[in-house]
Amino acid sequence: MQALEVENVSKSFGSFLAVNDLSFSIPQGTIYGLLGPNGAGKTTTIRMVMNIIIPDQGFIHVLGQKMNEHMKEKVGYLPEDRGLYPKMKVEELLFFLSALKGLKRDEVGRRIDYWLDRFDLGEWKNKKVEELSRGMQQKIQFIVTVIHRPDLIILDEPFGGLDPVNTKLLKDIMLEMKKEGHTIIFSTHRMEQVEMICENICLINRAKKVLEGSLNQIKKQYGKNTLLLDYEGEGHFIHKLSGVEHIDDYGKFMEIRLADTRDPQNLLKELAEKVRINRFEVKQPSLNAIFIDKVGDKNAKDPIGH
Amino acid sequence: MQKILSVIKREYLQIVRTKGFIIGTVLGPVLIGAFLVIPVVFSLISVDQQEQIGVVDLSGEVAGGLEEKLDQKMKDGKPRFVLKLYENSKDENIKDLKEEMNQKVLNEEFSAYIFIPEGIIKGGSVEYVSQHVSDFDKIGNIHDAVNSVIIEKRLKKEGLDPQKIAQHMKEVSLKTSKVTQRGVEEDTGGTFIISYLLVFILYMTLFFYGSIILRGVIEEKSSRVVEIVLSSLRPFQLMLGKIMGIAAVGFTQYAIWALFGLGVSQYGSSLISGFFPAASFNFPSIPAYIFIYFVVFFILGYFLYATVYAAIGSLVNSEKEAQQLLLPVSMFLVVPILLMMYVIRSPESTLSVVLSMIPFFAPILMLLRVCVLFPPFPQVAGSILLLILTILAMVWVVAKIYRVGILMYGKRPRFPEIIKWFRYQ
Repeated sequence: MQALEVENVSKSFGSFLAVNDLSFSIPQGTIYGLLGPNGAGKTTTIRMVMNIIIPDQGFIHVLGQKMNEHMKEKVGYLPEDRGLYPKMKVEELLFFLSALKGLKRDEVGRRIDYWLDRFDLGEWKNKKVEELSRGMQQKIQFIVTVIHRPDLIILDEPFGGLDPVNTKLLKDIMLEMKKEGHTIIFSTHRMEQVEMICENICLINRAKKVLEGSLNQIKKQYGKNTLLLDYEGEGHFIHKLSGVEHIDDYGKFMEIRLADTRDPQNLLKELAEKVRINRFEVKQPSLNAIFIDKVGDKNAKDPIGH
Repeated sequence: MQKILSVIKREYLQIVRTKGFIIGTVLGPVLIGAFLVIPVVFSLISVDQQEQIGVVDLSGEVAGGLEEKLDQKMKDGKPRFVLKLYENSKDENIKDLKEEMNQKVLNEEFSAYIFIPEGIIKGGSVEYVSQHVSDFDKIGNIHDAVNSVIIEKRLKKEGLDPQKIAQHMKEVSLKTSKVTQRGVEEDTGGTFIISYLLVFILYMTLFFYGSIILRGVIEEKSSRVVEIVLSSLRPFQLMLGKIMGIAAVGFTQYAIWALFGLGVSQYGSSLISGFFPAASFNFPSIPAYIFIYFVVFFILGYFLYATVYAAIGSLVNSEKEAQQLLLPVSMFLVVPILLMMYVIRSPESTLSVVLSMIPFFAPILMLLRVCVLFPPFPQVAGSILLLILTILAMVWVVAKIYRVGILMYGKRPRFPEIIKWFRYQ
């Protein structure tokens, strides 16, 4: 049984096609990256999974069951556009939102204490939400998402606004929950975070799926001929070298994709004649490079300064 | 259902705990009470100051009887007016005499003087001179006293008995009664005041609770909490819970006011006359059927306007943006108030009947008609039925707008776009 199955789902708003024949499935107990540029249709897809809006076509099954209102209690959702009732006290708010998930009041109290303690928010229990910093509110929102121990957890940009310490804490909790058998959908623009924690991904662009599968396989498909180059000197000529298919220039270093027929050793020789090389590494392509390649428009594919 | 209850509870507690609600609930009746009681109290307070009044009686016939007629007493039993007689001993001319008296008023030797000319029994006028002549109550008292002394003298001169004349001249009172299906009721004008008050309370509370709903929806939208809430329940459940929760707040407020009103109409009169025995004051009481219709029309009016305000809240991003859309809604509430006097004067006219059947006007205008002249029952039932049907239709329409609008940010949608929302699944 899959934690989530999305089958041929489409949704349009008037003449605007937000999601076009989208299918993907998520195995239980994994962390799944749902990726795509702004406006690709991620939020619409998630809202359909949450039954907040209804697909025009297609089916959505959560934990083997067709999604319905009752199933909302088995899913936790941290939206990207999120907020809390500013005038409510923290504890009161947590009680209210847990009640909406069908939890009984007497079992919630202990869980609230546990989570507030875990995030070091114990003394804020009786403060109004508006008195909390953005980072604290963010942590409260995470608590709201997981307090009912949902089987499926959807996190849309969960690290936004968190400092490195809290980012690590949240990431640890995500991995811990995965170990306990929870399935997590992780949606973000930060590809390095996806590479760290996701096993499988789905990339959506302009309402359609462009890539799906396990992260390792996708990287393999993308070939071995990717170089990481850190150099000193005038490097404009690199774009014109034969066999250089694509360059992502990150400023301090560049990621170069070579044609399969091109031998990196030869390239190294040519480079060494003209610039001073600090680092030269043959590696798998980064997810960031794959993302830009799949999503960026034609012009963006041309190297800068060409 | 459990989820709707949670929403109702949250909405209720959030509002009931605010200072605004507590102040409004307590202050509302206090203000209305004060409005009724304070003028009475103040008119009693002003009685309690003894005044010296100078009297110049050139006729020599009036001053004697005046003291007896001007017998108002203060709380401690002393007379309110002390008359001081001035004889024209030095045979001054009238002009000099008046000048001298004026000076005495300015020096505050006495607060006023009365100048009675020589031939007053035959005709002419008495003068009252004071630094301020705006205390109509006091001047009225003095006028009455002078008047009755002089008239008695005139009658006696003609050989008539003033007491007998007074008996014959006694005014005939006009008693107004109102005949209804229920029988004849005596109407002292109190029902009119009460109707006016009830209609006004209805109008104010419809506005007040509508704007609470509007603010609640906008807060959920602008704080972006709405998507978190919708990951647990349907937009319709949220909307319904909010409307019911605020309705519960309204009932609480009305219940408190009703208890207060009941207390006042029961014990108010005796309480006031206990403190101020001099005042006779009767609080008009509300007939039970009027109160029932009042509550019915509040409930129906509330649900009708609540849906409209909820829809507007879901369409806008801020309260400021809401103002433009609110204008036509406010018109629906203001028009019946403007038509109020017309409906009171001709409650049976075709225009009144038609206007009071229009659902958006009905809560105020039909209640008004019920207060003034109970309309034929089919009209009342018809307007209630129309209101209920309109509310159901509005709930259906607004639910469609609300579920889409509440998740839309940025530019406010145009009307044709909103129509398209109805086709969304």
